[in-house]
Amino acid sequence: MSTGKNEALTQKLESESNFFGRSASDFAIMIITAGTMLVLDIVLSVAYYRSNSAPDLRWLLALLDIVVILTFYGAFGGRVKRMLLSMKLALTMLFVILLLAIIGTILPQGQDVAASGWTTNPLYGFYSRIGLFDVYYSRWFLALLYLLGFNLGFCIIDRLPTTFRRALRPRTDVKEIFIRKCPAAATIEGAGDHGAEMAKQVLSKHRYHLHEGESHTVLAEKGRWTGLASIAFHLSFIFIGLGAILAGTIGFDERLEVPDGLSMPVPHTDLRVTNHGFDMQTVPVKEGDRVVGYRPSVYSSDLELFQDDESLARKTITVNDPLRYASSNSLLTLLISNKVNLHQASYYQTSRGYVSVLQVTYKPGKSLIYFGFGLMMVGICALYFPHRRIWVKVDASGELLMGGRSNRSKVTFQRDFDRIVMDLRHRLVKQEA
Amino acid sequence: MDINRLEELLFIAAVISYLVCSGFYIWYLISRNEKVVRLATLVLVLALVAHTLALGLRWYSSGHAPMSDLYESLSLFGWGIVLFFLIAQRFYPVQAAGALVVPTAFLITSIAGVFYQGPEPLVPALQSYWLWIHVTIAMLSYGLFALSFGAGFIYIVQEYLLKKHYKNVMYTFLILFAALGLVLGFWAGSWWAEPAKVMDQTTQIVSNVYSATDYLKILGGGIIGLAIGLVLGYFAGKGASKPGFAKRLPSLDVLDEVSYRGIAFGFPLLTIGIITGAIWADQAWGRWWGWDPKETWSLITWLFYGAYLHTRLTMGWRGRHSAIIAVIGLIVVLFTYLGVNLFLSGLHSYAAPT
Repeated sequence: MSTGKNEALTQKLESESNFFGRSASDFAIMIITAGTMLVLDIVLSVAYYRSNSAPDLRWLLALLDIVVILTFYGAFGGRVKRMLLSMKLALTMLFVILLLAIIGTILPQGQDVAASGWTTNPLYGFYSRIGLFDVYYSRWFLALLYLLGFNLGFCIIDRLPTTFRRALRPRTDVKEIFIRKCPAAATIEGAGDHGAEMAKQVLSKHRYHLHEGESHTVLAEKGRWTGLASIAFHLSFIFIGLGAILAGTIGFDERLEVPDGLSMPVPHTDLRVTNHGFDMQTVPVKEGDRVVGYRPSVYSSDLELFQDDESLARKTITVNDPLRYASSNSLLTLLISNKVNLHQASYYQTSRGYVSVLQVTYKPGKSLIYFGFGLMMVGICALYFPHRRIWVKVDASGELLMGGRSNRSKVTFQRDFDRIVMDLRHRLVKQEA
Repeated sequence: MDINRLEELLFIAAVISYLVCSGFYIWYLISRNEKVVRLATLVLVLALVAHTLALGLRWYSSGHAPMSDLYESLSLFGWGIVLFFLIAQRFYPVQAAGALVVPTAFLITSIAGVFYQGPEPLVPALQSYWLWIHVTIAMLSYGLFALSFGAGFIYIVQEYLLKKHYKNVMYTFLILFAALGLVLGFWAGSWWAEPAKVMDQTTQIVSNVYSATDYLKILGGGIIGLAIGLVLGYFAGKGASKPGFAKRLPSLDVLDEVSYRGIAFGFPLLTIGIITGAIWADQAWGRWWGWDPKETWSLITWLFYGAYLHTRLTMGWRGRHSAIIAVIGLIVVLFTYLGVNLFLSGLHSYAAPT
């Protein structure tokens, strides 16, 4: 089939049939994609819920759910891109997640359910099935987080070009009417070109950067890169989310009990850990002046890590001071942390002595998360530097026009603008005198 | 009544008096009425006496100067601020600064209250330098949200005053004072109730176990608080419902800006507070986030103020809408700060185990 014929066929199809505002071929492609995803989703779900030994696939299933819903929505005429770019969706998601999080703090979660009175409640079965006793790890909660994540990602991509354009190409070619209609505006009569020169001096004195455009328009601005702060802040969630997915899938978080003086294999690794000694200090618990018991003030375990009888590391760990061991110090360590961490979680006592309870964790993606934290802190602090712009132009009658805009803290900007104008007037009057 | 209980009660009395005094000093700032400042000074001196006694009892019962744990040092810090302010006020005309200083003292002593425990060392989980950083940042953000709430509340009142809707002014005051009275009443009621404290030996999570009488006491505290709040609210509303009062309040623009600024600076601090908490949790337990009630509620607060900023910065909400969100925001903050520790259990329940 020749290309020309193919095009003709497409055009014919487009003119004849219109499926939900889309051409038949587009519709077919989207339906086929969505259908394939749906089948994959169903197959994986069945496999996951049937098997008892399957790894936790909820993060993947939730992702598939959202992709399936979005493609079907798109196929049936929904404007996916516009929806994902909308602030209304973001705010709705924020509130839905907020409400679900509240439910999660009211109902007992995870292993706390067994101890609560909920198991005998007639609603228990229903609530349990829809995941209300495991809200934060339930498939639909994760799906909502993904939807919010997509929303965030689309908004970031959408904003990038504008942000860079604004930063790289200062807008000097503005019309007189634009300057007159600025939220902060002033006109100085009869100032002329001399006044414009003076205005430039005053604006530089107030630490504005000057850009001269054609037709004698001057743009003075402050904080032209601050648009990136918002991008950095929102991007940090993507990094933290990716890090969390990495840590939650490849990583592990296991409880390990090592009795005093004994050695145990570290789960998921070929390491062994020896507890050389558990140590504890207690303080009396008083009720009034009466001692009613004792509680630990400090406890620690002297741990040594081995690999094939070769000692790798030794440290006395306490609750806030874990043993961290990196198997290699390659570049990979920097990109995704490969440290195995031994945390002192708690202890218990048996007839043969103390048993130290450790939390053994391996969190690849830690670097991504910390990078995200850093980006978030830098971004959110930089968010508070406004982007201020003041345009200066002399019109045909020799009137000096000044107009200013700020993207935030407009009251402060107005004050700043008024001060600049006053300063300028003073100088002009002084010079005349 | 044993010494520690007496110390606790004196301390609570001092903290509540600081709150009342903060109100008086702010009132003075607005009304410039010399009688108000005299009343404020009297209450502040009484509060300082109670606070001094509490610190003295602490010293006596623990056998060492009260600066060993977080409660003691913060309590001492707040005490010092009030003492120096009173001395300064005796010799210099700095009464107006009380509107800033006394709320700060209230804030610091309330932080101390969160860490109240008998005279003994901290539980192992809290023995970290992160405690200072995390708590200070979180408290500063709460303080700023409170500021934003205050400005937002005055905004609503001012708008009604300017429109001469005096009935609505009265309702606004009644609702606010009733809500505050209810919350503080529940808080006081839970101190009164003294629930049994149970510590899980392996996780070291301390949870409160309330009996039926305890619930009645909490409910009773709430009702008494509500009643007191309604009475105070009525008088405050009546006092404010005067044509001339609007002139003493700042303009709507300034109030809107202050309310926004509070959140604009509180939000990054809350963000950093949550991040430092996550880093600390990773250090202590090997996880950043565990959906513990305090963590979850801090996220809820964060999402709430995040929504505020988005409605304002990208959807252009201003004025009354923003003010109402800022007012509701403090309720969320208060629940995160006090409610979680009272009603829910978790790693942030710092109650001393028995």
